[in-house]
Amino acid sequence: MSNPVLVIGAGVAGMTAAVELADSGIKAILVERKETVGGNALDLYKAFPTDDCFYCFEGNRWRPGIRKCFYRSALIDQPNITLKMNSEIDEISGAPGQFKVKLTKGPEYIHPRKCTMCGLCLEKSKAFHLLSPQCQPQAVVFNPEKTDDGAKQAEEECPTKAINLNAQPVEETIQVSDIIIATGYHELQPINVDEYKYGKYPNIITQLELAKIIDPNSDSGGVLVRPSDGKPAKRVMMVQCVGSRDENYYPYCSKICCIFALKHASILTQERDDVRVSVVYMDIRTYERYERYYRRSRESGVEFLRGRVSLVQPREDDTLDITVYDSLLNKYLKFTVDLFVLSSALEPPEGMDKLIETLGIKSASGFVAAADPASEDEVVIGDHIYACGTALGPAEVPESVTQARAVVSKILQSRK
Amino acid sequence: MDDKKSAVLVCTCGKQLQLDYDFLDTQVKSLNLTSSATVHDSVCQDDGLEKISELLKASDGHLVIAACTNQKIQPRIDQYLASKGVDSSQIQYTNIREHSAWVHNDMTEASKKSLDMIRGTLARSAKSSKRTLEQKEIATHVTVIGGGIAGIESALSLSNLGYDVSLLEISEELGGHVKSLPVVAPTGKSGKEILSGRLEALQNDKNIVTMMKTKVKFITGEMGDFTVHYSSEDDMEKTLQTSAVVLATGYKEFKPISMEEYLYGKNPDVLTQFELSNMLSEGDLVRPSDGKPVNNVVMVQCVGSRDENYKKDCSKLCCTFAIDNSLEILKRNPDAQVTIVYMDIRVPFENEMIYKESREKGVDYIRGRVSMTWKQDGNTRVRIYDSLLDKYFETPVDLLVLSSAILPPDGTSELSETLGYALEDDGHVKELYGKLRRNETRRRGVVAVGGVTRPQFVFEAVTDAQAGTLIIHNELQGGKIETTSRGAVLDVEECVGCSLCAQQCPRGVPLMIEQTETEEADEEQKIVFKAAIDTLNCHACGVCQSLCPSGATQLNFLSNDQLWDQIAASLEDAGPDYPITLCFYCEECSVSTIDIVGTRKMEYPASTRLIPVPCAGRVSIIDILKAFEHGASTVMIASCETDRCHIGGTGNEIAQVQVDVARDILNAIGWDGNRVDMFRMFSAEPDRFTNAVNEMVKRANNLGPTPVHKGTAGKWMEVTE
Repeated sequence: MSNPVLVIGAGVAGMTAAVELADSGIKAILVERKETVGGNALDLYKAFPTDDCFYCFEGNRWRPGIRKCFYRSALIDQPNITLKMNSEIDEISGAPGQFKVKLTKGPEYIHPRKCTMCGLCLEKSKAFHLLSPQCQPQAVVFNPEKTDDGAKQAEEECPTKAINLNAQPVEETIQVSDIIIATGYHELQPINVDEYKYGKYPNIITQLELAKIIDPNSDSGGVLVRPSDGKPAKRVMMVQCVGSRDENYYPYCSKICCIFALKHASILTQERDDVRVSVVYMDIRTYERYERYYRRSRESGVEFLRGRVSLVQPREDDTLDITVYDSLLNKYLKFTVDLFVLSSALEPPEGMDKLIETLGIKSASGFVAAADPASEDEVVIGDHIYACGTALGPAEVPESVTQARAVVSKILQSRK
Repeated sequence: MDDKKSAVLVCTCGKQLQLDYDFLDTQVKSLNLTSSATVHDSVCQDDGLEKISELLKASDGHLVIAACTNQKIQPRIDQYLASKGVDSSQIQYTNIREHSAWVHNDMTEASKKSLDMIRGTLARSAKSSKRTLEQKEIATHVTVIGGGIAGIESALSLSNLGYDVSLLEISEELGGHVKSLPVVAPTGKSGKEILSGRLEALQNDKNIVTMMKTKVKFITGEMGDFTVHYSSEDDMEKTLQTSAVVLATGYKEFKPISMEEYLYGKNPDVLTQFELSNMLSEGDLVRPSDGKPVNNVVMVQCVGSRDENYKKDCSKLCCTFAIDNSLEILKRNPDAQVTIVYMDIRVPFENEMIYKESREKGVDYIRGRVSMTWKQDGNTRVRIYDSLLDKYFETPVDLLVLSSAILPPDGTSELSETLGYALEDDGHVKELYGKLRRNETRRRGVVAVGGVTRPQFVFEAVTDAQAGTLIIHNELQGGKIETTSRGAVLDVEECVGCSLCAQQCPRGVPLMIEQTETEEADEEQKIVFKAAIDTLNCHACGVCQSLCPSGATQLNFLSNDQLWDQIAASLEDAGPDYPITLCFYCEECSVSTIDIVGTRKMEYPASTRLIPVPCAGRVSIIDILKAFEHGASTVMIASCETDRCHIGGTGNEIAQVQVDVARDILNAIGWDGNRVDMFRMFSAEPDRFTNAVNEMVKRANNLGPTPVHKGTAGKWMEVTE
């Protein structure tokens, strides 16, 4: 069978599935909604469990080595992989084994193979920018809303003629034998969780937003600053289970937020100057060896408060007064902090419900679920349909990678 | 080997790089090792690729490409050339964009540095040899150790991919821990139900030979040719040949005999969570001591887990197990009172909903600890500390259930002695790389799946087994291995049998082979064991090369001579007035960091010359001293982060040893040992490289020229403390 496999989502899970398929001689069509691969990982700076970069995935036969950065993943230059960026799946029809997939590929303003990132267009116009040094494809991106004369000039002068300002979306229909759902997760924007006042004051942020601030590639160069005025933040409070374990939002545990938060708490207390961190929690859930983050945080002086935040009040100087009910002391405590960080729930990404409905597959709290749960085969979610990574529910990078390999293993077995 | 001349292709990146191309063109053309020099505007585009193909044909494969990072363009070039049937294995790259033009404002300086790096690369290219595709056939047999869920799943999926499998189980029954689970969250199925389909498939599978009561004693050999020594029921030691090994030996539940507060082992009504599972699976729910009904149950979480005296980490599964069993108890006896004493309840994702269900059904949760257990009037009583109420209270129990820690199974450490995988601090099998390579072990051809790596839920163990199967399939390639011979090659004549390579290879590739047919007349001179390296199994890091005292083992794409010539040629500009910092960087995390520094245009001094090596562990003391011999003022090695070496985790530690010894040597000969240092980095923190390089340039300026600089030899002595 030479039919290709469709991989929806080019985060760590989707990328791993695609390169493993390609290595095994199976054509993979990797479809990504955004302008760069990498998904959430691209914004996450340091990864657990290894405390090195997040933007890293496995080497393969074509790029030997244990692991490679996204920028050197060569996804656009590998045999057997077709990468479709800015693309949305419109419709899936046909029978298992011969799915017909209609998709729309966004306008290709910049030809990914032609762009050399030489920098000429970046100097000519603000309409062009580099998403991240680690972006893949390694190409600048174009924002049509900012088109100006400089952009037109860049189009003419681009040394490799990589720019096409008049690019249009393209619709196409492909036939694939199998579908891998690797659509990842979305971090809940807790605007509706009233008690935390997220979205109302700039110094109330989510963990993902914190990750971006402390990334050395950020505007502040990795210094912890307050979004309100860019001044250093010294006092931080984190609150766990925002929108998770909560009947009003998501009843499930988002599984990785404790580790995520304590990773950040450790970085702040150990690698940034003079920052104090408190964490308000119900249960600290640092599974298996992740317990290390809990130990390390406690040792580095992170303060743990078991209870709930009951009141958030802004002050004139943009600091926040926070009242916490401490269930161990059975007391209300008051704190003044520069930054209030919400460990917000992981939720299914936009469009997941439609995908689940179209494919007629099972759902677990809005994520996709195993077709036959009793088989304990989590990655098989339908006939010729598989899933890996956080599409299956909250997962860490290593779990996503293992699931992606399991999917490819299953597909190879089905074709034997 | 004679030095070969190479064609040089210099890219201008669409005329956007601030380099003096006239200077480069003229200078490169004048170099001895240059056969032709071409300046091109876009090497990575179609006409550039054609040019590469043309130049390769004209120069017998010897080509130096000076352009942007080869991490980006090499895959494209390799693929293009492969499609044209042109060999690309001898192309050498040097990065004049991210490593030079983009990080130095002074065009003259950047051009000078670029020229030096091209000259150095030409020297490496002059002695390059062609790498060829080689084939090898191996048996399509895999041995799976352990007949629990992970082992069974591995055996079945390997068989599906066409492998013959021997499944070795130490006990007399398949199914491991899973077969005794009365209920498995979140589906509520019993362990037996989960196993039944698989056990049936196993029986009908002709590719799988299942051997019960079989204990693996030790394993010798290497990937493609392992020998498993085992004893079976009749206690005779036997062997079998196999190409790869799957470790699926599961876990062991901690027996908390030494924890006096629980009376485990002394009071029959005190049992572990798994012992309770067994009891429930068999249908009984009575007090083991006297067969009376069970009404009051207290469960204690984190027994031996999250405990500095026992297992420091969390065992992950015990909270879910306890809740599963609580619900099962309530199903059998709706009037039972189940209390769970915990520190934190840890139930991932939808298991939270089962936790909630248990609360609704009346399971009582107390945050605290059990501090004491005793017997009174034939009944067991416990004292519980409630940390939320800050109070102690006592209660009678029919069963005290200890959610005991999950530990690695017996024998894990013993088997590692011959099989060569590494262990975690907690005794489980250590993964090759925690983020991306969980199922691979340090030893090639040995994969670990399921509980032996870490506590895992049933579905996780199944996924693990599937992923492990893919890894084995990738390695064995259905028995017909076809791969480029790119790695270490051993010259047996030169081998002195020191075994350093075999001891230190991060992937356990070199084997020490007894020399049975040596012709040495003199017994004293006879070398009994010599190393053997299968280049096709090699990961090409060069650790063995940097350690080899006799130069017997060398990478076939980066020999000692190649690197030494490159060092000499790169340092031609060094002089008393121009102190140079030479940087060896690994082509894993370091090249990424340096490339990202370039992409972000973070400036650093141009008095730096960069030389790529596959792994920092490739750099030997001699290589470092050669750099000083040829005039470097300071030498730095850029490597991956501590314990994050790409190649088995130890290449950078070997490099650290080399640097430490080199520093001692410098101090001993009256130089300043601070002239050499090692720095660890990863691309998320690009300033790790700029800080390092600034420091070494500063040292170069402060310490001044070395005695070997032209014009200073014999006139100079460095003062050291």
